[in-house]
Amino acid sequence: MPLKPIIQLEEVSTVYEGERRPAVSDVNLKLDQNELVYVVGPNAAGKTTLLETINGLLPTFKGEVSVFGLNVRARGKDVRREIGYVPQDFMVEPGEPYMALDVVLMGRYGKMGVLHKPEKRDLEKTMEAMRLMGVDDLADRPMGKLSGGQQQKVMIARALAKDPEILLLDEPFSNLDPDSRVKIPELIGRIHKERQMTTIIVTHDVRQMMKQCRRVVVMNNGRIVADQTPEKALAVLERPSVSRSVEVAP
Amino acid sequence: MIWLELAIIQRALAGCLLAGFLTGLIGVFVVRMRLSAIGYSMSHGAFAGAALGVATFVNPLLTALSFSAVTALLIGPVADKARLHADTVTSIAFPLNMALAFIFLTLSPQIGLSSEVASVLWGSVISMTNIDIVFLTTLCAAAVAVIHMFWKELFAIMYNRKLAEADGINTQPFVYFIIFLIGLVVTLSLKLAGGLLIFALLFNPASSALQFLHDMKKIVIVSPIVGAITCISGLMVSLVLDLPIGSCIVLVSTFIFAFSVLLSPKRKRKEVNR
Repeated sequence: MPLKPIIQLEEVSTVYEGERRPAVSDVNLKLDQNELVYVVGPNAAGKTTLLETINGLLPTFKGEVSVFGLNVRARGKDVRREIGYVPQDFMVEPGEPYMALDVVLMGRYGKMGVLHKPEKRDLEKTMEAMRLMGVDDLADRPMGKLSGGQQQKVMIARALAKDPEILLLDEPFSNLDPDSRVKIPELIGRIHKERQMTTIIVTHDVRQMMKQCRRVVVMNNGRIVADQTPEKALAVLERPSVSRSVEVAP
Repeated sequence: MIWLELAIIQRALAGCLLAGFLTGLIGVFVVRMRLSAIGYSMSHGAFAGAALGVATFVNPLLTALSFSAVTALLIGPVADKARLHADTVTSIAFPLNMALAFIFLTLSPQIGLSSEVASVLWGSVISMTNIDIVFLTTLCAAAVAVIHMFWKELFAIMYNRKLAEADGINTQPFVYFIIFLIGLVVTLSLKLAGGLLIFALLFNPASSALQFLHDMKKIVIVSPIVGAITCISGLMVSLVLDLPIGSCIVLVSTFIFAFSVLLSPKRKRKEVNR
């Protein structure tokens, strides 16, 4: 008997308040456990909306989203406790009075449940995630004092500290230095395999996807225009109507 | 006579200590969650309530508390329903409460701006009663206990509500609770500085603590202490110079803030970087 998909979207449309045109339209998508999928497409293609529709931060206008077999509209909070999410371009103000360690530990708060204080295991998981991202030496530094790249690594560590079953990363490598841009995606790929995490990575960088995954979803104008292998997806991306803002490999 | 004066001063000191601590504590949430309008909206809600109480011969403190509590209870849900920031809805509640206050005062012209109603606007810490102190002590204990109990969730929401939601925290009841708590604290602290000046006590201690500290966990401990010291110092200055207590508290609070900005190590580092 085939396994039930861990993420399933059926005819899903999401409309932002005050807008008439859906940000994503009639999307059908199924992901099995342990899949690694890259989502690419030009700006305003609906990539971020797709991620926030999956974790239920944005309510659907039409269709149904189920994660772990649960309806996200009804069980969003339960679902989100098992999803590690890194939002796009999350930067804090220079005076932000939060220590990096606290920010990473926060990723586990929803999972701990109300009235439960962080325990030794939570701190161990937090430090482990920070070590993986190479930011353990920044644990007692305020977030506002970190560079954009360091903040981005802290945010990835926050998502990993949760020990999630699903990882949703929205442009997670955009602020990293060139060296980290190579190392961190490889590390994410390795963690994905080791922990058998279903992973969706939104990116503009096609070179990364070519190296790392077997499945690429191409979005344009709020629709999925291709759900293919990287090679076939690349052909779709090279179409003039889609290729805007996407770093297509030379 | 001396004993009577001593009792009044003791109550004033206790009131300053408790209300200063509470406003300093809750001010951290006001500053972080950008709820700037809430201070004056709650105080004017209390003003309208006090006016109603005086007009209907009911204890003005109770009606003031009821008015603020209802305002505080409505702000969160109305903001969510209208898809507006809580601060915007608070700003809508402010003139509404003022309008109601003036109507209640007009309905009872023989009373006008009686001392009870005026004390809500201008503050009158000397008129603090034992009941006020009991209310403040209870609220202080309850606020510290509840904030300690739900600190994890409140800490995450203050950092970023959307991220907290993405981690599976049900943020809505916590946000409503904080707005409600701010309403209660403002109302019960009105006798300290009055509705027109309480604003300073919500912002200055937390903003002063922010000048020196980089860690929210420390700020939430230091800000109430700064609030309490500010209020007691303001009371002392007022007694020595024979000036209005509320105004002296605000002047001391502003002085501490200005001093913090001047001495802030954060500012010095910025200047070195330049």
